[in-house]
Amino acid sequence: MRIVQACVKLGLDFVCVHTAADAHSGHVRLAREQGGPGSLYRISSYQDANELLAVADDAGATALHPGYGFFAEDFRFARRVTERTRALTWIGPSWRVIRDLGDKINTKRLARGLGVPTVPGSDRPLYDEPEAEEIAANLFSFQREQDVARPVVLLKASAGGGGMGIEEIHDIDSFRMTYRRIRNYAKRQFGDEGVLVEQRIFDFNHLEVQILCDRHGGEPLHFGTRNCSVQSTGRQKRIEVAPGFVPAELRYSFDAAAVLEAVKDHSLAIAREAGYDSVGTWEWIVTPRGEPFLMEVNTRIQVENGVSAVISRIGGKGGVDLIAEQIRCALGERPGYTQKDITFEGVGIEYRLIAEDPDNKFTPWAGRIDSFSWESAPWLSVHTQVPTDEPYQIPTDFDPNLALAIIWGKDLAEAKARGLEFLDKLVLGGTDSTGVELKSNVEFLRHKTENLLVF
Amino acid sequence: MKDVKALLEEMKSAPYKLVEVAAPHTGVVEHVLTEPGTKVTGPQGSWGERPGTLLAHLERERNKKAIRAPMRGEVEKVFTEHAGRFVEAGTVLYTLRHYLTKDEVIQEILKKTLYLFHAREQAKYYFFPEADTKIKAYGPQSVRVRDGQDLFIVSRMKRESVLPYSGPEGMIYAVYFKDNHSVEAGQPLIGVCPPDQLPLIQDVVNRVKSEWEERG
Repeated sequence: MRIVQACVKLGLDFVCVHTAADAHSGHVRLAREQGGPGSLYRISSYQDANELLAVADDAGATALHPGYGFFAEDFRFARRVTERTRALTWIGPSWRVIRDLGDKINTKRLARGLGVPTVPGSDRPLYDEPEAEEIAANLFSFQREQDVARPVVLLKASAGGGGMGIEEIHDIDSFRMTYRRIRNYAKRQFGDEGVLVEQRIFDFNHLEVQILCDRHGGEPLHFGTRNCSVQSTGRQKRIEVAPGFVPAELRYSFDAAAVLEAVKDHSLAIAREAGYDSVGTWEWIVTPRGEPFLMEVNTRIQVENGVSAVISRIGGKGGVDLIAEQIRCALGERPGYTQKDITFEGVGIEYRLIAEDPDNKFTPWAGRIDSFSWESAPWLSVHTQVPTDEPYQIPTDFDPNLALAIIWGKDLAEAKARGLEFLDKLVLGGTDSTGVELKSNVEFLRHKTENLLVF
Repeated sequence: MKDVKALLEEMKSAPYKLVEVAAPHTGVVEHVLTEPGTKVTGPQGSWGERPGTLLAHLERERNKKAIRAPMRGEVEKVFTEHAGRFVEAGTVLYTLRHYLTKDEVIQEILKKTLYLFHAREQAKYYFFPEADTKIKAYGPQSVRVRDGQDLFIVSRMKRESVLPYSGPEGMIYAVYFKDNHSVEAGQPLIGVCPPDQLPLIQDVVNRVKSEWEERG
């Protein structure tokens, strides 16, 4: 939806694709409203590259935005889009950059080469079980040597993302069973059975740095940091806050301002070295002692970009739209401003409203949304595909995300108060096919708001 | 005990089904078969290696894909208004009238005689790796199931969970889902034949084989 809105804002024509299951989604309605019936195409699958390209050709499109999903980080698809006979402009990093940074392993190597700290563990996807087991055993030994009371090792699907395909083991005896489960899952979901083995760092904060680069080799810019530490048990984000820490309001046991500067500087250094040329996110783990470790680079625009945008000012002006900036840069424009022109004001909170049961391992809830409304406010923007004027059946092919609510306050206290006000006034109801009432994470969000950015 | 004869008579009273042939993906349609009433055949051979009658071509990304009849029957309707045009996925191109085969009749009646284990929720279903390997190698009837056995992996909203089988012990006689296809809540996943039902199943098969007349 925000891509359509950005196109409208920039005065660009667009076409949208949707699957049969998504026929009633908000992006379909918005595209119909803003672009007319000719702006919509029903395709068989979002994961079929041929569908997207065939539609682009039929519509006469000149550029392609891959959205937030898997294609956005698929360098083969990006290469195909830009190197086919009827080439299209790829709205994202060039395929070489996606290839180099989209792979967690390459990123790790590049980062280590620049002296940027990374999480201890394997530096390539592992396909050999005994080798992976040996690395896991070494990580357990390493943690014991560091006096870690309960050492834990993470097994991750190398091709995964968004918290999917990650499990932890507490002793080497459970390695094989977990390894095989992750490997099979990775093969089913991502088509690649490579597994990463890493040390699990506890009680960390998950920070992100929002980067923007142009296609002319200009100096990389950052739009500040985000803290994405409020996550589900499956390590999927539920609340994002910008900036990443607020040393002016909260006390930290380490120099939080210095950590924020360090992660920004490291991120810009990697972006510079890699020749980054679009919007991207650098993801960091920060330990309770204030040590930052680079986790990975997301070579795409992320859904949480809006919380960085809401606190950003360019030349003192708000209303920053990072998707529009991404599109402008992809089309060859220069940003027209430098890092000095980018300032930050206040605190942003983004809530991910999801139909799920936080008390039951965040199990997704699927059913029909019957009522959904909230009270408008100048400090609030809500992005949702769920209609507010008619019932909506949640498709089961995707996560049951209902909306993103972005709240701004002049400081953390005000942002939190406004966040709670939004949640208090939110109306959200529905039932599933067996009559069970909608389960959502609203209470979880409310509960977590209290201690946002406390570390 | 089910009345197999009555079930068979019910099927005989409505021996046809209408099948829609839709564009599996987007592309430009070129109709090959344009006359309603034309007889068509579905895939044939032990492995379905001989494809069905060519109905149309669907061209996308300079690849021409043949759209073939999925089963035997005759053309009921041709949607010629799509000829030469770019169509969306799921656009109906033909309607076929299909006369049920013996195997289909057996399957339909078995659905009413076997113990059916249903999908609890709309999701993609997979067999547990052990059962999956056996079924792929030796067919569903090589797997015996018992109450409480972990049998399915349920994949929904990018999450996977285990679904144990519940019901009478027996062999899996029929599988009603495919890998990577979404199954709606309430649809059967497998049909299980308890040992004491085997004679009835055999009766179904024998009766249909002797009494059902296949039509071209």
